[in-house]
Amino acid sequence: MKKMAKSQAKWVQGSIAFLWVVLASAIGFHSTAMADETCMSPYMAKIVGQEDYVYVWTLGVEGLGDEQDKLVTISVNPDSVNYGKVVNVLSVGGRNEAHHSGLTDDRRYLFAGGLDSNKIFIFDVHTNPSKPVLHKVITDFVEKTGGMVGPHTMYALPGRIMVSALSNNVDHGGRTGIAEFTNEGEFVAAHWMPTDENLRGAKKVGNIADGYGYDVRALPRRNVMITSSFTGWSNYMMDFSKMLSDAEAMKRFGNTVVVWDLHTRKPKKVFEVPGAPLEIRCAWGSNHNYCLTTTALTSKIWLIYEDDAGEWQAKAVGDIGDPSKVPLPVDISITADDKGLWVQTFMDGKTRYFDISDPFNPKQTYEHEIGSQVNMISQSWDGKRTYFTSSLLGNWDKTGDMDEQFFKLFSWNGQELVHEFTVDFYALKLGRAHQMRFGAYSLYSQKPNSTGTLLSQH
Amino acid sequence: MKKFFTGLVLCGVLLAGPGCDRDTDRDSYLSGSHAARAEVRIMADGWKASLPYEVPKPGSYALPRVGVAGGGSVLGPDGKELELGELMGDKIVLLTFIYSSCTDFNGCPLATAVFYKVKERFKDDPELAKTIRLISVSFDPEHDTPEVMRLYGEGFEDGDPQWLFLTTASEETLGPIIRQYGQMVIKEYDESGKYKGTMAHVLRAFLIDRSKNIRQEYSVSFLHDQLVTVDIKTLLIEEGVLPGRIDS
Repeated sequence: MKKMAKSQAKWVQGSIAFLWVVLASAIGFHSTAMADETCMSPYMAKIVGQEDYVYVWTLGVEGLGDEQDKLVTISVNPDSVNYGKVVNVLSVGGRNEAHHSGLTDDRRYLFAGGLDSNKIFIFDVHTNPSKPVLHKVITDFVEKTGGMVGPHTMYALPGRIMVSALSNNVDHGGRTGIAEFTNEGEFVAAHWMPTDENLRGAKKVGNIADGYGYDVRALPRRNVMITSSFTGWSNYMMDFSKMLSDAEAMKRFGNTVVVWDLHTRKPKKVFEVPGAPLEIRCAWGSNHNYCLTTTALTSKIWLIYEDDAGEWQAKAVGDIGDPSKVPLPVDISITADDKGLWVQTFMDGKTRYFDISDPFNPKQTYEHEIGSQVNMISQSWDGKRTYFTSSLLGNWDKTGDMDEQFFKLFSWNGQELVHEFTVDFYALKLGRAHQMRFGAYSLYSQKPNSTGTLLSQH
Repeated sequence: MKKFFTGLVLCGVLLAGPGCDRDTDRDSYLSGSHAARAEVRIMADGWKASLPYEVPKPGSYALPRVGVAGGGSVLGPDGKELELGELMGDKIVLLTFIYSSCTDFNGCPLATAVFYKVKERFKDDPELAKTIRLISVSFDPEHDTPEVMRLYGEGFEDGDPQWLFLTTASEETLGPIIRQYGQMVIKEYDESGKYKGTMAHVLRAFLIDRSKNIRQEYSVSFLHDQLVTVDIKTLLIEEGVLPGRIDS
């Protein structure tokens, strides 16, 4: 025993010596370029190299296939014999207005929300990345949050998921909040948006604090969380054409961005950002203390930034297409080097690349039509692979021949997008393709047909 | 050992100076995993002397209950069997899981460094120091015997706050404990199938109140002694040990 203790002590000391070497070399430590989505939470584990699967949270369509919402798993590793094919379909029973999804910080679970049913489906994606299974369903989101409706963004925090809602159960308008759940789906806390009537300690920079919500992102290095604003259940579940002709409905869109204290979850500043600011993407660089958002109705790029005095500001910095034609910018994606921003415009089905090397002066340098309609984008961390899907909302998608539903991969060489493959979601009777999240065996020290050696898993 | 650790902390501070003040946010990964690291390795904020933003005041926010702190059979430095759950309840507990051979500077060494700095922050106030217990439990019962954990922690046993370095009798005993904390550990093997002696895991630390509820979870980009300290003081205000009130 004594001998063993001595050898183990030596072994500990050896480890400590090695630690010194690691620390001493840390300043100059770089590894090779990796791949991962650039729009994910910075708290989240990252994928090294090629992603193996893309999980597409898909809306069921009445009269098509099993009509149910489903998680569709597509093989995207060129080394796989199934490259470009659907390898798994997991239907969840009924239609919920499937919309956004997000992975936990350890990437073991994928949370996927239903904007109409208020259910949140939690999929286990780590036990077998090629075949997710339904782990749990949260069915009491409205009750637990004190009346929030429409679970939208699922954003990873340490051990938790922050869920931004779109609406409320009183008037089904846009006033709402954000709610925290554990990675196991247990409710933790709810935080309502600041309003004109109750600013919750925030400072109103513009004229309004509408209390609307949409996306949520964090810049942990600045202890900042940012939310944007869209519209409530009464609009997002309405027929698109009908809503456009309803003057009162068109008044019910968000016009604010809120900057929060991340640690305390207290709102600090409410900015007036007219025209429904949607997706928020924060820069990755260590001195890039800013995030970007785009406004759906006014087609502008807004910069939310920390000025030299340490104050957060919001400024419109550019147009997207011709705002008078309402191209309807939807999802955006920032490149890992913070130099580029992909912006999808739903109405013309285009993706547009903006050079944002100077974030105060974004310049469009490229555009490409992806399809008759386009919404979501996920790009690999190295920027070489860009994935697109088509659906916006069940009642807002185009109709007839213009209602293409797809998942497409394009490679990006820095000059142009080159089409690699398309999965036709209507031809396969799957439904409307919405949000994408990446999966990889490497996250779990697994290889195809291997489950690795896990000491602990749920 | 203590001398080494002082050096380790100093090293962390020095590395956080000019030239290495890079973005820590994208350095979230499965610690120790060769397969899941970000593209640039950056010293986490926890190595820095102070956070680059204004730290909230204790009690200016609420810490919601996140879950129930789990227990299980553990082994103390003398090899005596203890119940982890019985080491909670009398004090506010800061708990983490590490393994002694972990060499990932933003993994277990970060947790140990931050715990050390938390201990330093409270040790000069004997009354407050008595209200806090730090616990580091090994992920690696095979190599981290009670004796190894005793050696690992012997430099830190200088009074309150108490800091316990524990292990378990086997992976079978460890499994149910770490499962309660949502911790996944993957042993790493080389191409020939030989165990490399390293493990992939997500670094987490847990702040546990005297009702044995988890009130905060810290990961790489969140684990800093200033934040941990302000959270502990927030719990102490809630308990009435410190003056003030919780602004929820």
